[in-house]
Amino acid sequence: MRYFKLPDLGEGLQEAEIVEWHIKAGDTVAEDQVILSVETAKAIVDVPSPCAGKILTLFGDAGDQVHVGEPLLEYADAQDDDSGTVVGKVKTGSREVETEDFIIGSPEQNVSVQAGSRNSDRILATPLIKALAKRLDVDLTQVAGSGTHGLITADDVEKAAQVRDDFGTAHTLKGVRRVMAKNMARAHSEVVGVTLYDDVDIHAWKKGEDPTMRLVRAIGVACKEAPQLNAWFDGNNLSLRLIERVDLGIAVDTPDGLFVPVLRDISGRSVKDLRKGLDNLREAVKSRKIPPQEMSGATITLSNFGTIAGRYANPVIVPPTVAILGAGRMRDEVVAVDGKPLVHRMLPLSLTFDHRAASGGEAARFLAIVMRDLAQT
Amino acid sequence: MTVESATRSVSRPGKKPSDSKATKDAEATKRDNVHVVTMVEAVNLALRRALNDDPDVVVLGEDIGINGGVFRATLGLRETFGYKRVIDTPLAEALIAGISVGMASQGMRPVAEIQFMGFINSTVEQMLSHAGRLRNRTRGRLSCPMVLRAPFGGGIHAPEHHSESTEAMFAHMPGLRVVIPSSPTRAYGLLLSAIQDPDPVVFLEPKRIYRMVRQQITDDGQGLPLDTCFTLRQGKDLTLVSWGAMIHETLLAAKELEQQGVDAEVIDVATISPLDMDTIRRSVEKTGRCVVIQEAPRSFGVGSEISARIAEEALLYLRAPVQRVTGYDTPMPYPQNESLYMPSTRDIVEAARVTLDNA
Amino acid sequence: MFDDLDQAPGKLGFIDARGKSVRTLPDDIDVAWLQKSYQHMVRIRQLDKKAVALQRTGQMHTYPSCLGQEAIGTGIGMAMQNEDVLVPYYRDQATQAIRGVRLEQILQVWGGDERGNLFEGVAARDFPNSVPIGTQMSHAAGIAAAMKSRGIRQAVVANCGDGATSRGDVYEALNLVGVWQLPMVAVVNNNQWAISVPRSLQTATRTLAEKALAVGIEGVQVDGNDVVAVYQAVRSALARARCGKGGTLIEAVSYRLSDHTTADDATRYREASEVNKAWDFDPVKRLQTYMHDLGQWTPAQEQALLVAVKQEVDAAVTAYLKTPPQAADDFMAYVFANMTPPLLAQREHLLARLERDNAAQGGKHHDS
Repeated sequence: MRYFKLPDLGEGLQEAEIVEWHIKAGDTVAEDQVILSVETAKAIVDVPSPCAGKILTLFGDAGDQVHVGEPLLEYADAQDDDSGTVVGKVKTGSREVETEDFIIGSPEQNVSVQAGSRNSDRILATPLIKALAKRLDVDLTQVAGSGTHGLITADDVEKAAQVRDDFGTAHTLKGVRRVMAKNMARAHSEVVGVTLYDDVDIHAWKKGEDPTMRLVRAIGVACKEAPQLNAWFDGNNLSLRLIERVDLGIAVDTPDGLFVPVLRDISGRSVKDLRKGLDNLREAVKSRKIPPQEMSGATITLSNFGTIAGRYANPVIVPPTVAILGAGRMRDEVVAVDGKPLVHRMLPLSLTFDHRAASGGEAARFLAIVMRDLAQT
Repeated sequence: MTVESATRSVSRPGKKPSDSKATKDAEATKRDNVHVVTMVEAVNLALRRALNDDPDVVVLGEDIGINGGVFRATLGLRETFGYKRVIDTPLAEALIAGISVGMASQGMRPVAEIQFMGFINSTVEQMLSHAGRLRNRTRGRLSCPMVLRAPFGGGIHAPEHHSESTEAMFAHMPGLRVVIPSSPTRAYGLLLSAIQDPDPVVFLEPKRIYRMVRQQITDDGQGLPLDTCFTLRQGKDLTLVSWGAMIHETLLAAKELEQQGVDAEVIDVATISPLDMDTIRRSVEKTGRCVVIQEAPRSFGVGSEISARIAEEALLYLRAPVQRVTGYDTPMPYPQNESLYMPSTRDIVEAARVTLDNA
Repeated sequence: MFDDLDQAPGKLGFIDARGKSVRTLPDDIDVAWLQKSYQHMVRIRQLDKKAVALQRTGQMHTYPSCLGQEAIGTGIGMAMQNEDVLVPYYRDQATQAIRGVRLEQILQVWGGDERGNLFEGVAARDFPNSVPIGTQMSHAAGIAAAMKSRGIRQAVVANCGDGATSRGDVYEALNLVGVWQLPMVAVVNNNQWAISVPRSLQTATRTLAEKALAVGIEGVQVDGNDVVAVYQAVRSALARARCGKGGTLIEAVSYRLSDHTTADDATRYREASEVNKAWDFDPVKRLQTYMHDLGQWTPAQEQALLVAVKQEVDAAVTAYLKTPPQAADDFMAYVFANMTPPLLAQREHLLARLERDNAAQGGKHHDS
């Protein structure tokens, strides 16, 4: 033995204080001869030498703290029986204080707990069902659970597999289409939409008139005269905010889905300016360079689906706006003019309004103004 | 349910440069009731505080008086509060528990010490048949606000019967609280709350960490809540649940996992019974993985209960089966083979890897 | 503070503290007996001293010294027959060694190795020493009941300390010895201290021996520092027990000259003057004086004995320290007669874990 290290002198003691050395360096000691006294947290004990030999060095003085496992002394002419311990001056016992932070209970104590609803992307299925899904190659993210709290059952998985086998794989919506799906579903569940249909006689239009610009102008005029539909409605607080400036969202169809860029301040700008602005927006949508802020903040919306097909529609309002005007395909129609049948060009209109925010009368007056303006030369 | 969420931090004072300076510091801090203490000293502080603040508190047990307890948990109490309140009993554990029931029934607050948990077994009849039932069988006419303290657990090379972890036995007894601190701060706060609790509390002190760390404690008589887990470390990948001395290895494992890029949450159960399942469930719902670490034998323990509750209440959130790191279903070996029995930090890390590699 | 160690009327004694004979020695005590007893006491004292040193130097774990108790253990051991059964507590090293427990086995037990309890020969049916206080007394009563039931004319010796007499277990066992007339001799080593609690705080009775009255058995108080007195009391009690005359409670009054265990510090709770006074009653010294005065023990014999005893104890220490470790799974192998499926699975776990740790630590022993 070369180094005699402080053993655990009690039960689970970490350190001891040297009270007194009974020997000094250079002394020769016998086995079991008491060589020092130490005080632990429990007792003062005399420590004997574990072997006979000559003492080379004592580590530590009276009053020093020594940790269990640290050397007390070194014997001369002895083999080092310890590999790898660097022995230096025994430092005074560490009185290091540990820092501790903890939370009483859970860090999320105030989060309400409702199984299945907190983590919407969490798949609620037992391991057995997950194994079944793996075997049937069913993507559980595509399966709606019919069990308690949306738990996916074996039936759900098997049906999904059957549907997949019969009709092919469904694809998860991404990007704009995904946003559209979510927005429309939300709008549908929230808004109380009512749609008015009518035709406006545009016989008076000059040749080459720009129908979109006429619709933009008419909406601007109507919003000024009947401001109830140029507004934002908050269904949670049941509050309505009438907005002075008219920022018109214009639905633009693309192969990737529906975009609704916003044409700002339609009643305060020239037609030429608006046309240029609209063209820029369309181009930006087409080239996917439209910044998100250009697609937010609409106060009312126009859907000019008639450029493709369709006479009437019940367009969906996206909150917080409260109205959307749909323009159908223009057509020539025999109409009674001053008691005579004449062929005039007609423009079909569908105005959907949120009945939570506006009354039927307000909406009808709005539509009447739109029609009056559109009917003009 | 909402439980008030709070954090306590313990700051790190500078190292003390010299003994004389250290003494002065100690004196200065004592004036402000701030003490830097080990866990066993924290127990002593709490007992002292309770004896000081409540004349109904008495401390009793074997060798707790002049000797200050075999682990020195009651050091100096008899000198301050006298032999009538710090009572050396005859050597009879069943008696110690029994007279505590009697004293408590009359409104006193006995805090009894059983010298080692290995010797707690003869108290079982008193605790199971009486302490835990007195309120119920008298329909509230009598109650039993006693605390039965005992150092427990292995790893200190103590002789046979000195190293057991039989907390599950008491957790299985209706009407008893079982509380286990894992730091000086929690030892102080939980023991005070245990003493103030209107019902019997078995307060088990993990003696392996009695003197392992020092923390700064303000001796202000403030308890910490019972029936509540403590989240010692927040993480998102994995929940490590433990109590008592194994918290030490559990925190080391969390550090090691951090180096592997795994963010582990560490929960100290603290009150074994009744179990605060809300905290554990919330964490498991967040992480989807759980390892329960106990020093006690593997079968029929607190870890089994926690695993069962997770299976019942949070199965759908699990990404991998719950793992348990435990002792074995054997008597605690004599000291030479004690380390074979004890769960290690590496065992915890490995079990964590099993849950991580599974999903 | 402590019970009077002096011999007095009512307390059996033959050789007093000064080594003087106060009563004629029993017929079966001859010089050879005295020398044998003395040698054994010296041997146990050397073992005890070495065991404390081993603990103090980190080579053994907590150890309960039997310093000052050598006469009790030796007297019991000398009185017992091979077929009797010993149910010891943890200060019965001297008796166990006479019963054939090897000295290194005693060290093994306190060094944390269950193989120290693997007794052979005479001790093969003896119990290992009981650590939970007083619980062994009912085992002894059960062994005695088994002997009686089988018609075996042998007896049990069960030992405990003064503190144990406060426990219900001890009373329950003694009560049964009385009512069933069991062949059991209970020896209470009244060494005055149950860790820090003195005998006077354990019981209000004047003696511990008188507790026999409450259960209807013989009660005897002997000078526990007088090996002859202990021997004589145990021998006659065993003789009565073996022939069906019932049990005896023997209070052997001694003094714990050591700490309770190596984890204890008795200076915290008892005066040095008290311990110094108790050394005047040292059981070893008085026997040496007595034999010397008889002309039956010379300094040369003493010197030779010390050398021999040191060699024997050193050999035991070497054997203890050189004992190869147990197989890692030994602690699982003896839980049941046959390993159960859970234990078999846990053994697989243990072995895999050790392999893992050995690989990680380059073959170092597993540690947590």
